[in-house]
Amino acid sequence: MGSVKRITKELAELTQSPPEGITVELAEEGDVYNWKIHMEGPEGSPYHKGNFLVKLSLPTEYPFKPPTVSFVTKIYHPNVTNDDKGSMCLGMLRADEWKPSSKIAAVLQFARQLLSEPMPDDAVEGRIAEQYKNDRPRYEEVAREWTRKHA
Amino acid sequence: MSLSKPTWNHFGSHHPFPDKQNFDLYRDVPSFPFSLPAFPFAMNALSADEMERFQRLSNTYQPEVQGPAVSTKQASHSIALDYSNADPTLAAKTNALALSHPECRIMRGDGNCGWRAVAFGYFETLFALRDPLRIQTETARIKSLNALLDQIGLADHIYEIFVDATEDILKRILDAIQSGVQDESFLVDAFNEGYSSDAVITHFRLLTSAWIKLNPGRYIPFLPMPVDQYCSTRIDPVKTEIDEVGLQALIHGVIEGSGFGVEILYLDRSEGDAVTPHQLTTSCPNGATLRLLYRPGHYDILYQADSNLNVAPIVNLQYGLSSDYTSSWDSATLGFDMNSSLMAIPNLMQDSSFGMGAPMSPMPSVSPAPPSPFRMSPQQEMYQSPMQSHAPISSLPVSPHPPPPAPSSAPPPMTSLPSRTSDGPQIRLNPLVMKPNLSRSLPVTTPFKNSPYNQAHFQNSDFEPIHWEPHGR
Repeated sequence: MGSVKRITKELAELTQSPPEGITVELAEEGDVYNWKIHMEGPEGSPYHKGNFLVKLSLPTEYPFKPPTVSFVTKIYHPNVTNDDKGSMCLGMLRADEWKPSSKIAAVLQFARQLLSEPMPDDAVEGRIAEQYKNDRPRYEEVAREWTRKHA
Repeated sequence: MSLSKPTWNHFGSHHPFPDKQNFDLYRDVPSFPFSLPAFPFAMNALSADEMERFQRLSNTYQPEVQGPAVSTKQASHSIALDYSNADPTLAAKTNALALSHPECRIMRGDGNCGWRAVAFGYFETLFALRDPLRIQTETARIKSLNALLDQIGLADHIYEIFVDATEDILKRILDAIQSGVQDESFLVDAFNEGYSSDAVITHFRLLTSAWIKLNPGRYIPFLPMPVDQYCSTRIDPVKTEIDEVGLQALIHGVIEGSGFGVEILYLDRSEGDAVTPHQLTTSCPNGATLRLLYRPGHYDILYQADSNLNVAPIVNLQYGLSSDYTSSWDSATLGFDMNSSLMAIPNLMQDSSFGMGAPMSPMPSVSPAPPSPFRMSPQQEMYQSPMQSHAPISSLPVSPHPPPPAPSSAPPPMTSLPSRTSDGPQIRLNPLVMKPNLSRSLPVTTPFKNSPYNQAHFQNSDFEPIHWEPHGR
């Protein structure tokens, strides 16, 4: 299958030259479809100094279907579901906007960028988005506190 | 809101039924009025949240698409049936289409139909040409297009699996040709496997996208947004419908280099009684042509009626197989003019079922027949031609059965059996002509009596009964 060939090469590239603040490994040796990502909270965001564990799962139809990204570490963010799934699904990760030529590296960079700049208009957590728009200091305070507690 | 108004009220208040009948109506459906009060109640009880949820559901609802990604070849008559109760323009056009293009292949309407139709048509055309050398040149050409992807900065480990998939299909075609496989079902199967089909379509999308980015001047005037944005929202994402600019770019960037023509037939409600053809390729009048039917938002593949009739070189090949017929031909007995257009009619001599089934019609666009029909024809021309000489190759596809002809090319009615003075060829050769000892047998068969294309058939639109004319004309 072509997908394994491509995933293997992408993994090799990501291991050799990882993007800033991101390290990548397979969740289980021998299974290229499930990845374990360590993501540092970007500087200047309330998530700074946090270390987030993120799960990336590739569908068997990859690269014709997008990977799914979910935060294992609890995070206070308008675009991440505040449940035990911690899933993030927007922009390039949506099935109808996905491009088979997108790299996993780009997906991870996109996810990290989202920590710096949430997209409240595309939120899954309406309450947090509301707060992000109307009461930024309070949002940052809670996000920072969660980061300290969980990440 | 009309929903809150119980519809059964119509019976009571608006329709002056006779009393008894009215009463019976209510008695027959006793439970009907009782269930109604729940209806307006339910409408009011929906909270704003729920309404919003329903709205979201309805916005994102996608009907399940059915049918194979690429269907087997089927009669275009089915398209006409779909429109039989529709707008008269559409009905007329689809009826005419079923005659001019009797076969079609339906693409699944999942957002990839236009891409898939072109890709499948391309491979099918290559297969139908049955020229191993050409497959090799195409494989090399497709590989060379990787340069486009490199130029726009795509890493090869990102695109190589798509190119692999296209090469794999080309290899399967080559194998099929070399092992004498006649029918294209292996190609249909390949396009119905998820992976191959997705990968090939992605490959073509990427090439198209790169082509547009590298030739922006040709497309910018037609784009509603900047080139990069156009490619990343309308070309690259999975399952985005191809639009007209995308189709043009796909043809220019990927298909045209093969020398195939591409023709789109637009089915819409514009004036006229036939679909509007539109040639997308600039050249290649005689090369193989893939034809697509476009209905707003959807593409299918069409196969033209006479597509297997103008395989002119094959006729020459037949004559070429034996050059010693001169002695057994007796032109006096044959009773027809050996004019070139007649001799150029393909397959006439080689296949009796074909000869009987196809009506005699003046051949358009056949390549010029040799001055003498008995001359040895250059056989190699067709099969070992390098890429630039596509001329002698017919359009697609060569199907084993002759499609029904267009009414315009209907044979003359039976009443006008061999009449040498009338216009055009009016006789039909049969295979016996080729047998030396039977050369004196009548080389004429009548137009088939039971066909509606026969004017003497009661279903013919210009029906005219046969008149007995004892003294001829």
